[in-house]
Amino acid sequence: MLTKRWITALFVVCFVIGQATASAGSPTPMQTVKERIDQIITVLNDPQYHPAAQKKAQREKIWEISQIMFDFTEISRRTVGPKWDSFSDQEKSHFTDVFAQFLGNTYIDKMQGEYHNEQVVYLQEIVKEPQALVRTQLKRENLTLPIDYRMKQAQGSWKIYDILVENGVSIVQNYRVQFQTILQKESPVQLIARLEEKLKEQKSQLGQ
Amino acid sequence: MNQRTLPALAAILIVMSGLIGCAGSRPKAMTEVPGAPSDIAAEPPAVTTEPSAAAPPTPAAAQPAATEPAASQDPAPLTEEEQMLLEDNTDWALQPDEEIYTVADPLEKYNRGVFYLNDKLLQGKARAAEAEWARFLYNSTIGVLGFGDPASKHAELNPAEEDMGQTLAGYGLGDGFYLVWPLLGPSTLRDTAGMVGDRFLNPVAFVERWQDSLALSGTKEINNLSFRIGDYESLIKAALDPYESFRNAYIQLRQSKIRQ
Repeated sequence: MLTKRWITALFVVCFVIGQATASAGSPTPMQTVKERIDQIITVLNDPQYHPAAQKKAQREKIWEISQIMFDFTEISRRTVGPKWDSFSDQEKSHFTDVFAQFLGNTYIDKMQGEYHNEQVVYLQEIVKEPQALVRTQLKRENLTLPIDYRMKQAQGSWKIYDILVENGVSIVQNYRVQFQTILQKESPVQLIARLEEKLKEQKSQLGQ
Repeated sequence: MNQRTLPALAAILIVMSGLIGCAGSRPKAMTEVPGAPSDIAAEPPAVTTEPSAAAPPTPAAAQPAATEPAASQDPAPLTEEEQMLLEDNTDWALQPDEEIYTVADPLEKYNRGVFYLNDKLLQGKARAAEAEWARFLYNSTIGVLGFGDPASKHAELNPAEEDMGQTLAGYGLGDGFYLVWPLLGPSTLRDTAGMVGDRFLNPVAFVERWQDSLALSGTKEINNLSFRIGDYESLIKAALDPYESFRNAYIQLRQSKIRQ
């Protein structure tokens, strides 16, 4: 019966290896988000970035960490809506690039201004591949801000394509309504120009 | 067993476990192990707890139970609530245009009509009347909650003719909304927004419904509320069309409250 024991042992070893590889190789949606947010919080709390002169460097660091989490093409597609199909490939990539930078500047700047050691609580993840919803809360002394992340799986990794605040206010929907109104009267090129204008304003305000 | 079949069997086992391992990181995959000899039945449960423990604590419903038997790779079915939360209509490619617009903004018909009407009427006496109305609402709600007569302290609710709506006129926001914006205190803004905002969206239907929801939620909820989507300046910075942005945020907020 030595042979049978060997087979058993071999089976168990392979099984464990298989599982270890599986867990290491494909983080869950919540793990994906948590890992990055934890890093961002570390940067926000890092004293080397406290001086005003360091804010730009801090913003760039946060951008570097966070942008990987997002699928900006998907965000762009969804916020532009059906008219996305009428954008040329160049317009699509130009829009995505400008919109991503605009979102990054807006929200990271806000984060830098408003983050004061709040705690992030990870509540739940609801997964039905390729979709997922990761529910979190940002806790202040007497306020709880619910923030949910809609994620989509592509090529083995989970990326955020929408953020919901207050249990249901979608940022994608919010921008889509704005863009739709604009696109009713203006062309894609004009919408991109508007975004670039905002981006320029931002950069001068942020001292870039 | 002889010496030849053992390596062959080992090779098969390695390949099988590799396939099973790659199938996914969920514990579910572990129950897939076919033909496990009875004397290692105790082993898989010990292994399954490892990744589960490493993952952040989640409700049982979100993660399939490791002991659940299944022939397929499908995770445990989601509860109805989870299905609803996961549902998302931002992928317009899956929906006809009209439907998207309706879902995103069901009050569109009312909003546009009422808003443009307000725009034209908002001059002179009409503006003063708005301020009066808002002050009345503000006092009747906040006053009732024990805040005295706060309206007199807020310049916004006692506007001089030329002040009103100047900043926001460029965005076509109208005076009613101007009254809402600067009130960023926790127990006042959403309350006021509920009254004033609703009035602009759909006076009759919404006021009734809102009062119902107010009655249900009670004082505690009002005191917890605050305009968290951002303050005035942030919204202006973050939006290309601040009016549309605010209105949509408000509509989505109401929809999510109704759903809850």
